[in-house]
Amino acid sequence: MKYKIGIDVGGTFTDFLLAFPDGTSKIYKVLSTPDDPSIGLLNGLSEMGSDLGISLEQFLDQVETIVHGTTVTTNAVLTYNGAKTGLLTTAGLRDALEMRRGIREEQYNNRYTNVVPLVPRYLRQPVEERIDYQGDVVESLNPESVEEAVDLFEKEGVESVAICFMNSFANKEHEKRVADIVSKKMPDSYLSVSSNLLPSIRFYDRVSSTVLNSYVGPVLRRYLQSLVAKLKDNNFKGTLLIMQSNGGIVAPEVATDEAAVTLLSGPAAGPVAGVSYTSINGFDDCITVDMGGTSFDAALIKNKTPLVTTEGDINRLRLALPMLDIVTIGAGGGSIGWIDEGGLLRMGPQSAGSQPGPACYDRGGELPTCTDADLILGYLDADYFAGGRMKLNFERAKQAIKTHVADKLNYDVVEAAAGMYNVINVNMASGVREVSVKRGDDPRDFPLVLAGGAGPNHACMIAHELEIPVLIVPKESSIFCAAGMLMSDLKHDFVRTYSATLSQLKKDTFLNYFREMENEGKECLLSEGIPEKRIKNIYALEMRYVKQYHEVNVEVTQEEVYDFNLDEIARQFHRKHNLLYGYSLEEEGTPIELLNIRLTSIGDTEKPAFMEEVFDGEDPSKAFKRHREAYLPAEKKFAELPVFDGFGLKHGNRIAGPAIIEQVNTTTFVTSEYALLVDRYGSFMLFLKDREEEFARRIFK
Amino acid sequence: MSETKAEVIKGVKIDKILVSVLQRRFKSITQEMSHAITRTTRSPILCEAKDFVTGLYDGAGKMLEQTENLPILSFSLGPVCEYIVSYFGDEIYPGDVIIHNDVFSLGNQNNDVAIYKPIFVNDKLVAWAACKGHQADIGGAVAGGYNPDATEVWQEALRIPPVKIYEKGKMRRDVWDMIFANIRLDIVRADITAQIGSCTLAERRMMDLIEKYGLEVYETHKEYLYNSTEAMMKAEIKTIPNGVYEGESTVYYDGKNVGSTYQIRVKITVEDENITFDFSKTDAQTPAFVNGTFTSSASAVMLTFLQMVNPDIPHNDGMPRPVKMIIPEGTIINAAFPAATTFGNHLCPQIADAIIRALAPSIPERVTAGWNHLLCGNVTGIDPRKGTPYVDILFLGMKGGSGGTHGFDGYDHIGMIDASGGVLAQDYEMFELQDPHLLIRHEYLSDSAGAGQWRGGLGVETEFAIKGENIKCVIFGDGDVEPAFGLYGGREGSLNRIEMRYPDGKVHVPRSKELVPDVPKGTIWFQHAGGGGGYGEPFLRPAEKVLADVKNGVVSVENARKHYGVVIDEKTGAVDDKATAELRKKR
Repeated sequence: MKYKIGIDVGGTFTDFLLAFPDGTSKIYKVLSTPDDPSIGLLNGLSEMGSDLGISLEQFLDQVETIVHGTTVTTNAVLTYNGAKTGLLTTAGLRDALEMRRGIREEQYNNRYTNVVPLVPRYLRQPVEERIDYQGDVVESLNPESVEEAVDLFEKEGVESVAICFMNSFANKEHEKRVADIVSKKMPDSYLSVSSNLLPSIRFYDRVSSTVLNSYVGPVLRRYLQSLVAKLKDNNFKGTLLIMQSNGGIVAPEVATDEAAVTLLSGPAAGPVAGVSYTSINGFDDCITVDMGGTSFDAALIKNKTPLVTTEGDINRLRLALPMLDIVTIGAGGGSIGWIDEGGLLRMGPQSAGSQPGPACYDRGGELPTCTDADLILGYLDADYFAGGRMKLNFERAKQAIKTHVADKLNYDVVEAAAGMYNVINVNMASGVREVSVKRGDDPRDFPLVLAGGAGPNHACMIAHELEIPVLIVPKESSIFCAAGMLMSDLKHDFVRTYSATLSQLKKDTFLNYFREMENEGKECLLSEGIPEKRIKNIYALEMRYVKQYHEVNVEVTQEEVYDFNLDEIARQFHRKHNLLYGYSLEEEGTPIELLNIRLTSIGDTEKPAFMEEVFDGEDPSKAFKRHREAYLPAEKKFAELPVFDGFGLKHGNRIAGPAIIEQVNTTTFVTSEYALLVDRYGSFMLFLKDREEEFARRIFK
Repeated sequence: MSETKAEVIKGVKIDKILVSVLQRRFKSITQEMSHAITRTTRSPILCEAKDFVTGLYDGAGKMLEQTENLPILSFSLGPVCEYIVSYFGDEIYPGDVIIHNDVFSLGNQNNDVAIYKPIFVNDKLVAWAACKGHQADIGGAVAGGYNPDATEVWQEALRIPPVKIYEKGKMRRDVWDMIFANIRLDIVRADITAQIGSCTLAERRMMDLIEKYGLEVYETHKEYLYNSTEAMMKAEIKTIPNGVYEGESTVYYDGKNVGSTYQIRVKITVEDENITFDFSKTDAQTPAFVNGTFTSSASAVMLTFLQMVNPDIPHNDGMPRPVKMIIPEGTIINAAFPAATTFGNHLCPQIADAIIRALAPSIPERVTAGWNHLLCGNVTGIDPRKGTPYVDILFLGMKGGSGGTHGFDGYDHIGMIDASGGVLAQDYEMFELQDPHLLIRHEYLSDSAGAGQWRGGLGVETEFAIKGENIKCVIFGDGDVEPAFGLYGGREGSLNRIEMRYPDGKVHVPRSKELVPDVPKGTIWFQHAGGGGGYGEPFLRPAEKVLADVKNGVVSVENARKHYGVVIDEKTGAVDDKATAELRKKR
């Protein structure tokens, strides 16, 4: 058992990072197989085996851990291709899911429509029952109403059921009984019960999260079952872990029951990886962007901590489970160029994906994509795509751009390709704006970490659009998230409700709750193969002033918990309330009320080490390959640019733009405004030339 | 940003990216204020429904940016800020906090109480943080503030012209106590404290921001921002054909004289880049509380017009510059001192209708059919579970549908145009936790939406049991006489209705403005919020869309046939194509 593998399944490519025991690693990338993503995944693993000269079975036998991020659930929601879902909910309240409390996010836009609900109204079926806010039964459960609804579900071919009743956070009994009926009558259905998934007050949050879970559950279950079986058939005996939206990882069985925790599974590793690459160069903050074949994800990180929210949305549907704050837009190498009704050039959000893929892949795709434009403009080498394993068809790219863009605009093919390149760069820059400017942060204050196969090709243009002075293209940029997965820890969140003012708290009860959660976390992590000494816990209390309805989450130390140091805890609450909301009521002496106590158990995984390189001097000429014609966007003309072999570049090497750096899975285009330096971990740092000195001094101190 | 503007202002080179950054930063500060108020207030009107607005203003009181959960409140904050600057003159100090609600010094409604905090950098007044929220009580004759029997402002509320409650960082305990001695509920004091907190938060953020970029850069870049926003607004107005357009609407029942009606009349003049809304021919003010104030009416005009232009225009001082309003004092929408005016915010739907009707012929694809008018209840009483008083506005029940527009159905369950979906229905579980009510039904109302090629938004049916004690309900609103109108062949939406079903079996149907005292415990509140008007000929609506509505139970089989000409076979649940084609041919 010696290998660790991070796997990120995207819409177009499946990325792998294979980490060897000596701290070195190797990148793999294969085409995704959207109909059954496990096929592409196995293809990649086979390739690793054959590179080592052994069979897939022999190889998997030696794999200790696979950490896997998947977009199967995300895509199911975005494309409305999830399971046909039925909702059982308290009679009289079946529209809460669709009403979303009556919000119209764009108040002044009368063409802004409500989001289509994941369960249509005729499948939102009323159940006669009622529990009040304290958990007392007001109307007992009428099982007949359940039977009727279930009959309808069966008739309609419902595959997945969500149960969410009024006030079930205070009393689970009715939900539990209905779940039993459903399991008996529809034994093959996937079932989500709101009081298990999210036992907290707020009906809309709960019904929406529960429905999301049911909608994607069967999709994830099918996928993971087939994957686990295939891995087992091929002799895999190690641990498979799944990336969660909160930036942590978990076992597949847990993920299957709570499928909604994987809704951001793919991109969630990006910010984690971003922190690793920037912090080693002394930056606490960064913006990470990941441009794959289909989508572009952006996230902003301050103080080395990706933002987590429990008030997140996916496609405007509330998801009240913890998730990283990431913005996704439809822009990638596969984004299709088209002319809209007004005669304007647009890029995406439709993507050619991996099947048929861009026209130049020569797999039957006829529509022009971003990758086709990159090829025409000379940023990609037809003979060196994927290290030469896939030959790109220049003529097909040209024809596609001519027919669908150039002729319609009355442009020549190069002008049209340059236009496509420009438009998609502006689109991606607006994605970066979304996470920075829109929240009031100046993007120029953040190093931009560029990732994804297609990202570095566009890096300088996106950065230049936003005047960002410094960029980092990590060594593993093309499989950034796969790398991030190997840097993630196991993470389990626990919560107990203990509602009392601080002065009423009983030390024993308080400590017992924490001990219970510590034990649960420990048990979970031990079963996932984490030794006890690598387990750590984060303790937090959710408190408020009496008569408020929202809590402040205050992180406390283990010592404060076990010393039962309520004075210090109160001080911290006052301080944080002031910090967040501009005041505290410490002087007034307003009592503080505890509502929830939370524990996050973290299993510190063994991460692949970064290997430091020796300083090689400024001269990059050892890595020089040749000259190639490529298009300079600012000058609007082709020029002979030097092409370097990215793998040949060593720590300290400097290249002034314009230049092209080729690696197997990615090409970095350095525009005239930027210069590139290789840092001591082999990543490329790019700086605006006129500010190079300032940054170089900082990094090469 | 416009490329034509000067690149240098007062010797400072304008950095256009920084202009966008500052604009978004101002916006995000107001959003952070909004979040803070939601998280810290106690009244469900604020922490659940978000019946408040936040904003930033420059040193002169001009709008920098706002977060407008309820736009009808929001275009009053700026004018009052300018008033405060002139009122206190050079007696404004760091650490001051000023409170205000007075409708005769540009406030919009007595219950909407504003907090203003000046922001200083290097001893110079550079900006203001402000917020305004609908308070659970504001004194006056009736708890909760809505008093349909009022004829003068003093019967409605405690008047608060601009008053310092903090000076130079020190609370003025005497003034503070005087104000809260006149307000029934303790939570108002806590909620005002929360509002002050949100302004302090904004003060910290603004000071950091100005320190980072420098005062000169801030001053010049905001001027550039105003100018470019003004240019955007002018470009939008220019797309409306020049001309004079007139429209009117009717206000039903003033709360005193049963059967009374009043006309709101607007004459809109579009002249290239400028637009004037002239309400000179509007009827005189009422003897009761159905009267608007200048700023509530001006807000109504602004929020209606903003829905007809590019929704991405930033909200700052440049935005309203090309918009002129003539709203004469003494009319129902700008009542003269000392009239009662608590109902004023709720004349917004009628003002909007008059403007939509006026502009529809010139920009038919940018207007909607009529929106459902607000009809609402305010409940006060004792919560026997806690033994404490409670107040809530029943946002849950009042959210009807918006009007359809060219290419788009109306929005279901959006509620009054005053808020346009910015104010939320209470979460059901929070509703039962905060109020002694048991919710029985809250669902889309079948056949409520006005039929149309693009139908109106659906209304909502609400039913709950009132389990509080000493309950008083105040009903306020309209839309129980005239429904939301259709446009271009679209049908009208359904009417509003409230019933109070008493435990003894009697049913009381209150008038649209009425104080109902002594509501017995166990009364069932029953309410229909009507649907929006339809847009375009309903026979042109694709049959499969009609079928989907029928399958989902929001349009009946009869109405599918009657209004849409779509025949649905009740046995198979499918569209009878042949019968549908024949029926539709007849039109």
